[in-house]
Amino acid sequence: MGSDCIKDSVTLCHSCDLVVTKRALPSGVRALCPRCNTVLYDTPYCSINGMLALCITALICFTPANFFPILELHFLGSVRTTTIIEGALAVYDEGYWLVGIAVIITAIIAPGILIISILSQILIIKYRLHSPFFRRQLKRLLGYQHFVSQLTMLEIYLISILVTVFNLSDFADIFLGLGTFCFILLFIATLFLQREYNVEHMWSFLDE
Amino acid sequence: MNNLTQTTQGKEIGLTSCHTCYMLNKQEQSHCSRCDNALSVRHHHSLQQSWALLITAAILLIPANIYPITMLIDRGNIRHDTIFSGIAHLVHTGMFPIAIILFTASILVPLLKIVGLTVYLTAISFRLPISKKKLMLGFHIIEWIGRWSMLDLFVISITVALVNMGQLLDAKPAPAATAFALVILLTQLAAKVLDTRLLWDRLESKDDTH
Ligand SMILES: [Zn+2]
Repeated sequence: MGSDCIKDSVTLCHSCDLVVTKRALPSGVRALCPRCNTVLYDTPYCSINGMLALCITALICFTPANFFPILELHFLGSVRTTTIIEGALAVYDEGYWLVGIAVIITAIIAPGILIISILSQILIIKYRLHSPFFRRQLKRLLGYQHFVSQLTMLEIYLISILVTVFNLSDFADIFLGLGTFCFILLFIATLFLQREYNVEHMWSFLDE
Repeated sequence: MNNLTQTTQGKEIGLTSCHTCYMLNKQEQSHCSRCDNALSVRHHHSLQQSWALLITAAILLIPANIYPITMLIDRGNIRHDTIFSGIAHLVHTGMFPIAIILFTASILVPLLKIVGLTVYLTAISFRLPISKKKLMLGFHIIEWIGRWSMLDLFVISITVALVNMGQLLDAKPAPAATAFALVILLTQLAAKVLDTRLLWDRLESKDDTH
């Protein structure tokens, strides 16, 4: 019995290397590894057009979310505002460059790359760009997908804004800015985008 | 197909799963036939790398908690806050929900991660008889909650940019911020480099000797 005929009927768990026989799944159900409970596969529900719409929404919100004020502080008659980028640059300027870089990467650069990367993948698949150049680009984007989505921490930043509001309400009056509104929209669009997106399904487009 | 058992692993039937695109490949191949990334049946060095990163993170956790993480000037009075004193201050002012969020993200999560990964790596290195299922569940939880430690660093960056009014009211980061950032980075890397398949190999080899 060669490994060739097994190859199509089984899958290997990524965490414990167990051989699991593949079975058809009803939609919305995930197959877990019987030994270590790692997610093995699920029925893909990637809708290319749906993801395209979410990508465009996220892109529209991206710039105002990062450049409009997220918080306003009123203290003894004077007003100060800050944006996400200013927050990262402020700690960087104080000499805490590691913290500054971590904030810029996880709150601004990674989400931006994530959205543009998924958008490019969708466009390549939607318009069936089969030339070797586009296939190579798609492989490259898919290869980095997991890493980029791990670095995207919009949900954590959103909670941080709320924590800061309560933290500082002790000293001064704090108001939410327009940037926070755009940031929430960006967060929601990205959340649904990541829910719709399935990297293993995207890889299967390369098999065609 | 009949010779597959409950514990047959990919390496026994000559297959290995690509770590980038999850496609099954033959073990003899050096690169994945779909995504061209390098294949490896097991990362045997990953255990050492993970230990090194984890020990460094554990050492850095000490300065991260002892030194102040922020400095606040309020009408001429300078106040240094460590991670813990900042949370204690929130409890005093009656903001329990925020205190609990910050306590979880900044103290509980890093500590759980370091303790959890230590148990995990010890179990692989010394073949401890701990339930592999529970270890794996713990590992999945550690991987998932680890990112939430970034919360405190985000709060610091927003606060420093917002509270900047000279001697009246001013906030600045303090040395523990860098140590804390390194703890997050190193613990995430320690979990990421580890090849968890090694744990299950040890289970198999132990059973074989019985
Ligand atoms: Zn691959």
